[in-house]
Amino acid sequence: MSEIEPTEQTQTKTDAGSAQPLQTTSGESEEQLHEEWIDYRFDGETKLAVETLDVHYGDDHALKDVSMEIPEKSVTALIGPSGCGKSTYLRCLNRMNDRIKSARVDGSVQLDGEEIYQDGVDLVELRKRVGMVFQSPNPFPKSIRENISYGPRKHGDIDTSLLARLSGRSDEEAEERLVKRSLKQAALWDEVNERLDDNALGLSGGQQQRLCIARALATDPEVLLMDEPASALDPIATSKIEELIHELSREYTVVIVTHNMQQAERISDQTAVFLTGGKLVEYGDTDQIFESPRSQRVEDYINGKFG
Amino acid sequence: MAGATRSTLANQETSGTDLAAAAAIGLSTILFVLSVASLAEQLSITGSISGVPTVTLLGGLLVLLGGTVASFGVSSRLGYVETNADHSAGLIAAVAAGIPWFLIGGGFASETLGLGAVAGLAVGVLIGGTAFAATAFPREDVGSTVPIGALSIVTGLVFLTSVLGPEWVWDLGWEQTASLTAEFVIPVLTLLNAMYAGWAAAKAYGGFGARGRHVGAYVLVYLNALSIVAFLFVLVAFTVVRGIPGLLTGAEFGWGVGPGTTVGVGGFGFTLSLPFSVPFVMNGVALMNDFQGVLPAIVGTIWLVVGAVLFAVPLGIGAAIFLTEYAEQGPFTQVVEIATNGLWSTPSIVFGLFGFAFLIPRFGNSKSLLAGMLTLGFMLLPLVLITSREAMISVPDEYRDASAALGVSKWQTIQSVVLPAALPGVVTGVILGVGRIAGETAPILLTMAGGTFVPGSQTADVIGGFEFIASPPFVTNPELLQATSALPYQLFALITAGVGLGENVANPEEFRWATALILLVVVLSFYAVGIATRYYFRRKLSYE
Repeated sequence: MSEIEPTEQTQTKTDAGSAQPLQTTSGESEEQLHEEWIDYRFDGETKLAVETLDVHYGDDHALKDVSMEIPEKSVTALIGPSGCGKSTYLRCLNRMNDRIKSARVDGSVQLDGEEIYQDGVDLVELRKRVGMVFQSPNPFPKSIRENISYGPRKHGDIDTSLLARLSGRSDEEAEERLVKRSLKQAALWDEVNERLDDNALGLSGGQQQRLCIARALATDPEVLLMDEPASALDPIATSKIEELIHELSREYTVVIVTHNMQQAERISDQTAVFLTGGKLVEYGDTDQIFESPRSQRVEDYINGKFG
Repeated sequence: MAGATRSTLANQETSGTDLAAAAAIGLSTILFVLSVASLAEQLSITGSISGVPTVTLLGGLLVLLGGTVASFGVSSRLGYVETNADHSAGLIAAVAAGIPWFLIGGGFASETLGLGAVAGLAVGVLIGGTAFAATAFPREDVGSTVPIGALSIVTGLVFLTSVLGPEWVWDLGWEQTASLTAEFVIPVLTLLNAMYAGWAAAKAYGGFGARGRHVGAYVLVYLNALSIVAFLFVLVAFTVVRGIPGLLTGAEFGWGVGPGTTVGVGGFGFTLSLPFSVPFVMNGVALMNDFQGVLPAIVGTIWLVVGAVLFAVPLGIGAAIFLTEYAEQGPFTQVVEIATNGLWSTPSIVFGLFGFAFLIPRFGNSKSLLAGMLTLGFMLLPLVLITSREAMISVPDEYRDASAALGVSKWQTIQSVVLPAALPGVVTGVILGVGRIAGETAPILLTMAGGTFVPGSQTADVIGGFEFIASPPFVTNPELLQATSALPYQLFALITAGVGLGENVANPEEFRWATALILLVVVLSFYAVGIATRYYFRRKLSYE
């Protein structure tokens, strides 16, 4: 599946390109990276195992040799300065980078031990299991109900078409249950249950973002990828999203990219820091990363001296 | 000095001078309306309004308007009125005031005094230059009012003194007998003066300065927009007024006068008939008819448009989907784009020739409805493609990303996200295209034709024309392969037919105008359908 997304492509290119000057402006000499800084041991099952992942956008080497294991039912935060490759990394986990024509992905990503970068992977099934929420809220210009049931409908799990209704096979009740469940999970039900048939674009920014989370949850994923989900929101909406993420981590594996280090500290169980143009520098328990980082540059970054 | 003092932030009081400026704006609006009305022949230049001859009235109002504007400026300069005038009215205002004065001076010297072109030019430059200087160099309050006010006064005096009276004609002396009559010149001069003086009055109302210029620009832009509406209105009103008599020839209203159909319900027959009968749109042409009509052409036009839309819209949208969503952006898509734009600017007669040389030999070697439909469809295709493509490109990529992240396939995404979001734009394109093809004459002339008068028997019955046959292609429709008529072509034929029309219709002139009116109505009804469709799809997309 090769798809063309010219705008996306240029955007990510500039992102990746901007990593180069950052390196030099930091004014520090290249710090020697150590394997043990990213050697993170955790209890519990591994949900996603990433090994020697490299991503190129044309000639740009956006992600360099990243290996990390993500435990299930937890929140993993990816932090780092702009253009460090953390969004690229996130998009590798559900193969959204396939949509960028110039992107080339090498390495291995395993979901529950099953390689997702191999021939014959069903992208529909993969993306059903690995949902994604984007930086800016992007509900469809449809009703709230249709937004939620969009995925399951397209996957054929729910059929409320005219034909189904005529033949008495309509899943309207199932749809109703699904909408209610998803909206409740996203803590949006109480605010919108009176107006499920209104256009989703009429919601506030924070509500729209929670709707997008509900939409992602409706396909019943196991992993939820979030690309700076709160960066376009005000503090109140942000705290709602953070609470929600905390709730969701009981059932789902959440991987979240954020620019906000306090946010990463508040909500995540483990944190991965990307610094040097597409390299993973340090990965470990959030407490450890924030209190006693092993890398000098990570410490500088966390303390706001760099990046 | 007014300009030197700090002006208050809010001025709640309305002074008498403000009222004078406001009255001047009102006056210019009235003059604007009057001149548009006389351009539309709704107000006779030779006639009179409540006893006062129209020209005298217009002249008087112009003098009054010019006087008000100019005296407002002068009294502001003398300090009687408090304004925030700048030191100069600016270059644009100066050029704007110089041009009409140049024309007046030049025209007066070369035509009225008979001094010839060179002297006319010299005098024009002199007077125009004076007006330019009079606008640019004095303070803004004088500069932006006095030259323009004087222009209104002079024009008004010319009207009042009958130098340019209702019977005035300017023979341009060209080879053809071109001439400008008072009927045209007086309203146009009034219109221009009303816009100029309205601009100046608005600046005065705003107290000159930045605020004055803002109000002035607002009034000017507003009047501009109004004149566009006015011209459209004039055009439509002109056609309607002239078309109505022909349209209503022999028309009857009342229960049961219209053509009826008999409906059988349980053994009883009911005759349902329309409560009106308008022969012009319900009849063709026949010897026995009391009143002749253009029904075949109306039906022909509608079928032409429907056929062209059915042909071009699916094809155009399909191509747009391919180019936007699937094709690799590169030389190929660029070539397609250039070809599409070129196709859209191709003259319609070329499409007509193509239809004539390519389609007609393939459809029974005679002009036919189907050939016309396809030719118009080819014409419509590029616009549908261009606008659909634009509409799809403008659908945010976020929607596509969101859909892909939910594991929805590309085609399903296009179907249920991209297309619905693009539909209003697509419909806009179809509306524009239909507006063009419904009025095309040249392609019809070559592919379908018709005649000056078309018998009612030639009314295309496309739906009833389908027949099933035992051999492939199993369905035929002789109606599609027959020539019928279309309104634009019939209008063209009626106008060029000249002598002999009177044998068939009592009043050929009325018949032509009525045909034009019906063409306008048919095209505008397609517009209405399109706009309603677009409104429906937009409503679905937006949250208001």
